[in-house]
Amino acid sequence: MTTRKSSGSRRRPAAAKKAKASPVKAKASSAARPKPTPRVAKAKASAPVFDDPIVADVPVQSAVLEPAAPVAAIEDFVIDDDTELVVVQSDSELANLFIAEALDHLGTIEAKLLELDERPEDTNLLNDIFRPFHTVKGNASALGIVSVERVAHKVENLLDLARSGRIQVGETEVDLVLRAVDVLSLMINDVGQRLAGQPRKATGAEAVSLVQQVERLITGQIEAGEAAVVPAIDRPELVVPVAHDSNEPAFDADRRGATPSRRRDDVPMLAGTATAIKVDTRKLDNIVDVVGELIVVQSLIAQDPALSALVDGRLARNMAQLRRLTADLQRNSMALRMVPIRQAFQKVARVVRDISRKAGKPVDLIITGEDTELDRKMVEEITDPLMHMARNSVDHGIEFPDVREANGKPARATVSLSAYYQGSHVIIEVKDDGAGLNTQRILESARTKGLIAPDATPAPEDIHRLIFEPGFSTAAKVTEVSGRGVGMDVVRRNIESLRGRVDIRTEAGRGSSFLVRLPLTLAVLDGLLVRIGNERCVLPAAAVRESLRPKPEHVHFVQGQPRMVQVRESVLPLVSLGAILGMGATALDPSAATVVVVEEGGSRIGLVVEELLHKQEVVVKSLGDSFASVRGVAGGAILGDGRIGLILDPHGIVAMVRDGSRRAA
Amino acid sequence: MSTHGTTGRFQREELVGKYLTFALGNEEYSVPVLKVREIIKIMDITAVPQVPEYVKGVVNLRGKVIPVVDLRLKFGFPAQDYTERTCIIVVEVALAAGSRMMGIIVDHVSEVLNVTAEEIEQTPEFGDEIETDYMKGIAKVRGQVKILLDLDRVLGVDGTIAMPQPTAA
Repeated sequence: MTTRKSSGSRRRPAAAKKAKASPVKAKASSAARPKPTPRVAKAKASAPVFDDPIVADVPVQSAVLEPAAPVAAIEDFVIDDDTELVVVQSDSELANLFIAEALDHLGTIEAKLLELDERPEDTNLLNDIFRPFHTVKGNASALGIVSVERVAHKVENLLDLARSGRIQVGETEVDLVLRAVDVLSLMINDVGQRLAGQPRKATGAEAVSLVQQVERLITGQIEAGEAAVVPAIDRPELVVPVAHDSNEPAFDADRRGATPSRRRDDVPMLAGTATAIKVDTRKLDNIVDVVGELIVVQSLIAQDPALSALVDGRLARNMAQLRRLTADLQRNSMALRMVPIRQAFQKVARVVRDISRKAGKPVDLIITGEDTELDRKMVEEITDPLMHMARNSVDHGIEFPDVREANGKPARATVSLSAYYQGSHVIIEVKDDGAGLNTQRILESARTKGLIAPDATPAPEDIHRLIFEPGFSTAAKVTEVSGRGVGMDVVRRNIESLRGRVDIRTEAGRGSSFLVRLPLTLAVLDGLLVRIGNERCVLPAAAVRESLRPKPEHVHFVQGQPRMVQVRESVLPLVSLGAILGMGATALDPSAATVVVVEEGGSRIGLVVEELLHKQEVVVKSLGDSFASVRGVAGGAILGDGRIGLILDPHGIVAMVRDGSRRAA
Repeated sequence: MSTHGTTGRFQREELVGKYLTFALGNEEYSVPVLKVREIIKIMDITAVPQVPEYVKGVVNLRGKVIPVVDLRLKFGFPAQDYTERTCIIVVEVALAAGSRMMGIIVDHVSEVLNVTAEEIEQTPEFGDEIETDYMKGIAKVRGQVKILLDLDRVLGVDGTIAMPQPTAA
């Protein structure tokens, strides 16, 4: 075996640094004792996994690319294997969640990278790659998986430079980041392996060489466009791999019963995830759809006159049994999608704890409403934004204890996390008692970054909303967890993609709160069925205050139209529901019809409907994006007879009434 | 002259295949069988407000909410009461936002035809009054002309059906 000159010389700075930093480890690496296995030897063992044809290029290329700049030391990536595991094991459920999610994210990144390879000028793609990377890094950091965090951080730096246009994206960059995805996948899978009691798979050398390459790329030693170099890992000096090769039968036991994974084949399947499987939500939707239809058919059969004419004890018993079973099936299928938000809150709690410790800001976290049930997809999708918001609160919102005390506040800050239903929505609130948003600094920063015109003077609420703009960040330096200006941008995008909304309430010196308002896309809605013309519509019961048939003297006319109704002491605006929605503007006499009083956002209006039918629990279904511009309608519900009833959106209706009167004014 | 609708896109070989033909008034139209999910009898349709007249509303197709378009109205035929033969053809269309199931109401469904390359011809230019954009071509089968519809274009106006709400003050 011969040692390649290039690799030998590359190792030198690392070895030198290592000796200086940690003499004990240096000794261990030179001794090559069988147990405990020297870390460097472990690191080398990963090489066969990455047996890549590009390696053939190494001698030529690496000679050209002799590193002059400081390169990462190998112990930066392997020191923590034991401490890391302790951290991860302390919450293995969370760790498994992280692993599954991170692999998902890496899958997304990989797909986007391949797109980027074709359209390197597309900056949106770069953002799409950057965001999940940032999330993986943040989550790894929260869990204390330092090795993953460090690698991700380096690559993120590269992506950030590319995003800001300081690095041209070419084949080299895409290759490098793709390789980073592989390395990270391997490292993350390895965390799972170790969690399951398997020995550590050496990933250090890969990580180091990757980071070295990234650093070299960043310092401009590789010209953009030049072919990527797979670094000379110390292949010729390879000792017998200490870690299991993934193809070894030793892993078969773990493979059995493990969740199928779409990761690369040479990565062993993750053990210990067999109790839960990830199911495409569309499959769940299909079950819910079919079961809903089953209920309808069951009730049609039960009410069939021909059948009810038969007087038969056995038939009656069987029909009753069928009804019970279908109802049971429906409950169960609905429950498939609904989960308490606790899972998301737990992750946030972890983040708050870790960041408060890292930042030296003691924080009390108060959690309420963690049993609030939400669509499973919502809980999954809202986790990242919530974590970002909580990070922001602790990192930027909360002051250091001495500052707090100087301002007469308790040294321990309070962050509260709560979830509750409000009307047909779920509100999730992340609240801190920190310094509040600095309106002036946000304005200045937005001007500097060109997000608004230099002479623009927006209202304070509009200024606060600027923190949701892409590329906005007031943090002076980039920290491990926040301050790159991606967080709040992701938050808004994720929430809006759930057709939700995020609002900020802030008070200087008193703290801020982020209010996330999510619709219950699939949640069961307590509805009030009303008739408008030939159509039956569903009003969310939570928005309905009361319904009444007003006495003629309580209806007040304006320009010949019934426009106001007196309900006890207050006079409410009166609106024909059919007319405002545009469903046939039959002029109804309110004193002959029914007035439903709806409260939304603090204002009450009286809606005139032909008839109030009954209360019913309905399943909210989207009408699809074909009807996205229809106002006042939130979705559709399948009613008892199989027909669809429109679910009305009180918020939208109140807005329409307001817009209408504004136009008239 | 306006744009020559199909001129640039006409690809005879791509149009060969099986078509479901249906009638609107006295005219015969057809859609590729591969686009058809199912054919159902006309059923109760829930009207949705603030949409063009030809969008009749939504129906429940085994638990799925799908929009329904009356093709007569879409093509400017006079409205006509639905009969026993009136059908909703459930098709899969590619909209800007992805593939969607939609229903089209037709007078009646005729047959499934195997259209060969020899039978296919390019849509002639009719002048300016008739839009030919949503016709992929025509097929002359047994002396009858069947119009080959480009469903994605017929139903996918900017990817959405709904129109902006008329200002109702």
